[in-house]
Amino acid sequence: MINAVLVFNNAGQPRLTKFYTQLETSVQQRLISEIFTLVSNRPNSACNFLPLPPLLANSSKSSTPTTPHNDTPSLVTYRHYATLYFIIISTSTESPLALLDLIQVFVQALDGLFENVCELDLIFNFETLHATLGELIVGGVVVETQLDKVIEGVKAQGTVAKRPVNEGKSGMSFGGFGRGDGVWAGR
Amino acid sequence: MASGTGGGGLFGRSNSGNVPTMRGLVSFIADLRNARARELEEKRINKELANIRQKFRDGGLNGYQKKKYVCKLLYIYILGWNVDFGHLEAVNLISATKYSEKQIGYLAVTLFLHEEHELLHLVVNSIRKDLLDHNELNNCLALHAIANVGGKEMGEALSSDVHRLLISPASKAFVKKKAALTLLRLYRKYPSIVQNEWAERIISLMDDPDMGVALSVTSLVMALVQDNQEQYKGSYVKAANRLKRIVVDNECAEGYYYYKVPCPWIQVKLIRLLQYYPPPEDSHIRKLIREALQKIMDSALEMPKNVQQNNAQNAVLFEAINLVIHLDTEQDLMVQISTRLGKFIASRETNVRYLGLEAMTHLAARAETLDPIKKHQSIIIGSLKDRDISVRRQGLDLLYSMCDPTNAQAVVQELLRYLQSADYAIREEMVLKIAILTEKYATDVQWYVDISLRLIAMAGDHVSDEVWQRVIQIVTNNEELQIYAAQNILQYVKSDCHETLVKIGAYLLGEFGHLIADTKGCSPIEQFLALNAKMRGCSSSTRAILLSSFVKFVNLFPEIKPQLLQVFRAYSHSLDSELQQRACEYLALATMPTDDLLRTVCDEMPPFPERTSALLSRLHQKHATTSDKRTWVVGGKDANADPKEFSLVRSNTGLKRSFTEPVRKDRTPGAANGTNGVNTLSSDLAGLDMNIDTNKVLKAPNLASAAHLSPDWEIGYNRLLLRAEGVLYEDAQIQIGLRTEYRGQLGCLIFYFTNRSSFPMGSFTTTLDNRSAEQLKTDIKGLPDTTIAPDGQTQQTIMFEAKNVFANPPTIRVSYLAGALQGLTLQLPVYLHKYMDPAELSAEDFFKRWKQIGGAPREAQRIFGLRNKNYTMNMGFVRKVVQGFRWGILDGVDPNAKNIVGATVLHTTEGKFGCLLRLEPNFDTHMYRITIRATDEAVPPILIKAMEERLAQGVEGLS
Repeated sequence: MINAVLVFNNAGQPRLTKFYTQLETSVQQRLISEIFTLVSNRPNSACNFLPLPPLLANSSKSSTPTTPHNDTPSLVTYRHYATLYFIIISTSTESPLALLDLIQVFVQALDGLFENVCELDLIFNFETLHATLGELIVGGVVVETQLDKVIEGVKAQGTVAKRPVNEGKSGMSFGGFGRGDGVWAGR
Repeated sequence: MASGTGGGGLFGRSNSGNVPTMRGLVSFIADLRNARARELEEKRINKELANIRQKFRDGGLNGYQKKKYVCKLLYIYILGWNVDFGHLEAVNLISATKYSEKQIGYLAVTLFLHEEHELLHLVVNSIRKDLLDHNELNNCLALHAIANVGGKEMGEALSSDVHRLLISPASKAFVKKKAALTLLRLYRKYPSIVQNEWAERIISLMDDPDMGVALSVTSLVMALVQDNQEQYKGSYVKAANRLKRIVVDNECAEGYYYYKVPCPWIQVKLIRLLQYYPPPEDSHIRKLIREALQKIMDSALEMPKNVQQNNAQNAVLFEAINLVIHLDTEQDLMVQISTRLGKFIASRETNVRYLGLEAMTHLAARAETLDPIKKHQSIIIGSLKDRDISVRRQGLDLLYSMCDPTNAQAVVQELLRYLQSADYAIREEMVLKIAILTEKYATDVQWYVDISLRLIAMAGDHVSDEVWQRVIQIVTNNEELQIYAAQNILQYVKSDCHETLVKIGAYLLGEFGHLIADTKGCSPIEQFLALNAKMRGCSSSTRAILLSSFVKFVNLFPEIKPQLLQVFRAYSHSLDSELQQRACEYLALATMPTDDLLRTVCDEMPPFPERTSALLSRLHQKHATTSDKRTWVVGGKDANADPKEFSLVRSNTGLKRSFTEPVRKDRTPGAANGTNGVNTLSSDLAGLDMNIDTNKVLKAPNLASAAHLSPDWEIGYNRLLLRAEGVLYEDAQIQIGLRTEYRGQLGCLIFYFTNRSSFPMGSFTTTLDNRSAEQLKTDIKGLPDTTIAPDGQTQQTIMFEAKNVFANPPTIRVSYLAGALQGLTLQLPVYLHKYMDPAELSAEDFFKRWKQIGGAPREAQRIFGLRNKNYTMNMGFVRKVVQGFRWGILDGVDPNAKNIVGATVLHTTEGKFGCLLRLEPNFDTHMYRITIRATDEAVPPILIKAMEERLAQGVEGLS
């Protein structure tokens, strides 16, 4: 299953943190910063997969000792788009490439909702961000992957607000991925 | 009302939707973004928190205001602040009537609360209300909340409502798919909320035309299958069938093509589900899977330029490769993937190299022979030097798995060489793996000792305690190693070596130093000086071991006793209490008037008891447990074949594995039990497991079995028992026609299913239950269509081969969705007599054989009358029944024309059986006497049973 979805910018500031297995806030914070260090130090040519260091795996396991099903995360799958890192932490039983595809669908859905999404959209509309994720993943399992249905599902829940006009999007844009097929804006 | 914090109006919104934009929130976020320093941000947040606290305390807020403040709290929470005081207000929002307010309330529930949060029981009722609401958006919010925070309490209270949303024909697809995953969450938290009766209905949803529903139901089924394989086995055929339809027939809804690949996610799920079961027996199912896999392999051959498409294609391909390896029956495909993997691990794309190595590790875990992998040994070794640490790790796993006696020395050599430059992050794991391989493939004494000591010398700090302790265990338990090991370790100790080697040296020389005392350079005093020189630089735990070895020296080498006593005296003033105590005790022991006690205490250590290599447990601790079943583990065929090592990974219970080195026989069994406390514990646990399993089996109903036959099943069964074709079952909705043909031991049944209702039938499913599986082999030649239009028809062919004499006819479960799930269970008229051919015999031959066979046990006889006094019987009826049971009637054999004599031959794969019949009807008393003799004692009772049943119903039973 998927244990967590994280988004942070190049400076390591979290823009989205969603955990599907229960973790204490302090462990969460540690996890976020450690994963950022791991991921941001990797060159663009490196692969998109990273085993979760055992230290982290252990600390997150210990917090739920009573549950009969112990979903210990062991794989980090990430993708880097311009200013943002999208990260999925999962158990070893998920298909890593399918998770990469999922990140792409997530980003494309956001792009469709916000019309050329940029980091600011995610900051000011965190409720839309969560709603979008909720259309993709329920309880740590993929629920829908069809782009139009995801966007439709979010829109059905209310109007998506536009970003404030005078907050520019200088340098924040993801670049022209999405509709313009074939541009691999990030790794 | 504008936010009390000012700044509103700075940021006008470009849209003017009907949703009031929360200016206060926007300006607050902007303020924080503009804060130049951390302290300013902190100040701004504290000011806002104080403001919100005050507003909540004052009360009287309207819905919009509450929503706005909760939004601010959410934002502050996301930044990492504690907002506990606002939880209650936030959570109360979920009962708001306005959707936008309710939505924020639910977002707060999923972010602020967790499974064991005390506020949770306050919201259960509101959530239930939203589950029952007619507005589907509210249903979704509620489902989403349960999927995030649901635990046992919610499961008990709400699971039936969630289940209802999943199966109700009125539910929209977007509700169903979320309900499926919500149920999955609850099941994971508390398995007993999923009732056994739900199985058939849940499996049927895998046929849902909506791909989103199919995807999430498949995820749910995958979890259920892991605990209830038998009960959910119907999902296997569904998965194989759907996969083939998506991949080969291109049956994929518009919009679900992801960069031209038909819904890769559902493909991956379906292929994974297929790995949860052993390879299918059934030729048709195998064909479906083979076709789909071949198509996947073929489409992956064209290398698309588009990165996303390439990605999606490979996601499916790698899962398909895993399935091929799992099936292990498709030789053709196996060869293809070996070549393919060879290319992958040399690919320029890092992702492909990474996944290629992983898939090859899976292959090594299963394949009969490692030859196809060993071909690539040099590339694999090269991957240890890859730029990317993730790839290097995979390379290590693969090298570890592909080791066998022929290449072990070379691989270990390479690993040792790489160890020096390896990343710190993986050194410990490397050391463990090298140590395991060295022990496992040690062919000669020297090699084991050389490599182990070199490994420890090189890896130093990365050597976990298990590794050096294991070396001592093995040397102690193997006499032939002792001299060589003692000599070598002494050389290491004499040089500048790592502390771990000093520990080993101290132990081994203390035990076996006397064995080498006559060798040049190894005299007692030289051994002592080498060890004593290390005293200063070592930690106190090592010094303690050294002191113990010195007291053993007192016993072994009385000639150096003065030097040893001097050391004890020095340490009897140590500040370290452990060392001081040891020194004092050893000093007292060494200076006693007689040596008796010293000798007993310092006697040679007995061999270590047989137990799991601590190395393996240690290694597998590193592999995380998951609730999704792993289908293989890293470590080659041995590790996967050994159920104990396999379960070591899955459960971490520390089950025992036997020593790979020979163990001395003179060990008393009692001692072994005494020292292996853990062993008893784990076998207790194993017993516990068994209990749970049997409970489950008892509870799980098999709806296809004869115990669940539908009302009126016997009408068609009786009719077709004596005929080759006709209607097996009919009601207002469905008609099931059957045509049969038997040739020798082979029977072919063709079913015709007709939809008589005015609605289409969905998820049409047939499931066989064969109670005589040992003797009657079934082979499904095709599957019926999943949907049948009104007045439409679909058919299915099933072959039944009589391998031997069988007693019980198989049963079939037919189920379909027509609003609710409808199900029928029918007994098939596949009875032993169907495999018989009437025989012609002369009177002389008949009596000869009748005598040859003789009486019991190869004879059975029954005397019985008509069931009901209103029933009638006549000659025509009796003859018809006898012929229907496929006897050749031999007229003129019995002088009494009313008596019937018959002969027949039963065909089975394992042989033919001759059967003879005498039937004496008494038309006046309405009684029969029937006698059957056959060349096998199993046959007569089976035939008599069915014939009695039929004859006793008289003319009236024959319709």
